[in-house]
Amino acid sequence: MSIRVGLDLGSTAIKAIFTEEGKCLWRGVLPTVPGQEAVASALINAGLTESKRMRGDIADVVSTGYGKKLFACARANVDEITANAEGAAKLSGGEARTVINVGGQDIKAIRVDERGVVVDFRMNDKCAAGTGRFFELAARLLDSPISDFDWLAKNSTEEVELNSTCAVFAESEIVSLLARGIPKEDIAKALYASVARRIAGLAGPLCGGEPVYLDGGAARNRGLAEALEDEMMTEVRVFEHPQFTVAYGAAVSSL
Amino acid sequence: MTGDNVLSREERFLKKFSAGAEAETRKIVSALRTRLDYSREFDYFIELAETCGDAEAVSCRTGRRTVNLLCVQAPVEMVHAAGFQPFRVWSGSSAASRFSLAAAPALMCPMLKALLGSLRANEGARDGNWIIPTTCDWVIKFPEMASYECPSFLPRVFWLELPHLKDGPNGGEKWLDEIYRFKKYLESMGEKIDRHSIAESIELYREAWSALTKISRMRGCGLLANVWFALIAGTMFLDDVRKWTAAVLNVAASSTAAYRNNARVFLAGSPIVFPNFKLHLLLEETGMSVVADDLCSSERIIPGAAAFEDTSEFGLMSALAERYHRACLCPTFIDNDRRVNNILGQRAETNFSGVVFHVLKGCHPYDIEGMGLERTIKDRGLRFIRIETDYMPEDERNLSSRLEAYRCTLPTPQ
Repeated sequence: MSIRVGLDLGSTAIKAIFTEEGKCLWRGVLPTVPGQEAVASALINAGLTESKRMRGDIADVVSTGYGKKLFACARANVDEITANAEGAAKLSGGEARTVINVGGQDIKAIRVDERGVVVDFRMNDKCAAGTGRFFELAARLLDSPISDFDWLAKNSTEEVELNSTCAVFAESEIVSLLARGIPKEDIAKALYASVARRIAGLAGPLCGGEPVYLDGGAARNRGLAEALEDEMMTEVRVFEHPQFTVAYGAAVSSL
Repeated sequence: MTGDNVLSREERFLKKFSAGAEAETRKIVSALRTRLDYSREFDYFIELAETCGDAEAVSCRTGRRTVNLLCVQAPVEMVHAAGFQPFRVWSGSSAASRFSLAAAPALMCPMLKALLGSLRANEGARDGNWIIPTTCDWVIKFPEMASYECPSFLPRVFWLELPHLKDGPNGGEKWLDEIYRFKKYLESMGEKIDRHSIAESIELYREAWSALTKISRMRGCGLLANVWFALIAGTMFLDDVRKWTAAVLNVAASSTAAYRNNARVFLAGSPIVFPNFKLHLLLEETGMSVVADDLCSSERIIPGAAAFEDTSEFGLMSALAERYHRACLCPTFIDNDRRVNNILGQRAETNFSGVVFHVLKGCHPYDIEGMGLERTIKDRGLRFIRIETDYMPEDERNLSSRLEAYRCTLPTPQ
């Protein structure tokens, strides 16, 4: 019995991570669909199979995320801000002081101390601006998967302004840019800048000038980190597996 | 009804409004009655709250004509002394606020939006005279918005012009003049207010305030949940003040469940009005106990007992005027250091470790004042969280995440 499982039941994806003495053994992700408990169980089963372990090897399961209370087999649940802070602190070797999480439905900016204890935080209200949903919407309009945005943005040749951070207004702005024949590449770059502006507005007051750590599903897009660096005028570091920081924090949580 | 059971537009509005308002009230009442700390002493207040928007019911219950009051600056003692029942009109109904969508700016104060909605949907709610102190911009413009639908509304408003500089050279004098003008106005509709009637009313409300203070202390000690305190305070003007006071003393005499392991917080900011107890319940669910507050819907429902030595009519009127002006912590005042001092003073009494600052979306005065308050509170080593929300339930999950994380930053009392 040595495996600690962290489960992050998020709004768009369910992430699971197996750890042993703080080290990651396995990680997996599935999209969130109705019946989150079954999805989480399926992830754990997959993890056991792939890491060649037995159910009896699991010492602890801690859940987090919006759906944390839906997984009845978890011994404890921890809120996602606390889990994110603990995960980021451990993964950065205690260096992270400001962590920005761009999730499917929200953005969080967290100030942590060297032990990973939350000192302060900010979170967007009920609005999809700057979240993963915003990227999904843009992907549909640009007819390109989100994973292509980096490549598109890198090939941008002209500066284009996307003024709206509101998902609804941005949608009509993107449609009109496309109608004017603006290349997708320029729009993708403008999209990153627009989201970065929104994030900087939220997180700015919390930053103390040190490097900022970026995680959450949207952090897999390197272009977002670059745009955020430009906007916040500070170094932005991205964890190796940014989508799993919160699940990792739950797994190693001191709860 | 018009012929063949077809509802007129007004009837349809009223039916839809009533169904929505009743459903949300039923939901919160059911949540209250199934709590572990529910006891029969609370039934009186629950039943009052169920009719909180109905001035006619209040009038029947008290045998007095109601006078509608917005905000907390009009001395209720004077209304009572003139033979009326003071009726604090505000609304926490999200069903009602939906009825104002076509008649109000999107980012309007949710409380006034709900009030506007109930006026639009229900003609009966428009009756009576309205006492409106000139507090925030939304309140000042509210009668104008209400009069688009109901032209007879504006002429029935009595404005109490509120000096926003309390400690300025003329603020107190101007306000006393306003209070005398208010007296004349009340007397023109009701009974003459004399030294005896005003003294009697001051005494009645002093007793009510004293009873409220008792249960406030119980809350501070973890003997009464904040949700009950908020419910009780919010019903103060829905029945005869003597009956209400007796019922509060009944609660004070009974011991209810304690929440001593929860983290202790101070709740500040915009009012929270029944049935919109979303934040009260979320705070509890996330492991926090509100041990004190400065909401004008709860702790500040009346500003406390008027203190006087001079028992002449002028002495009593001056005492009331001062109590309702200088002691008021409304953020629409320019000189409002008292708010911070009050919070820090309560810290010594109730030992809370954090402040939850509630801002109703569109409530600019609280939003502005929250910034300075945050700095001061944090400077004192206390935790601070600002929660901006409205009456709609869809942000509960988001709020819950924030409150859970905030709770983790607070120490649990031993």
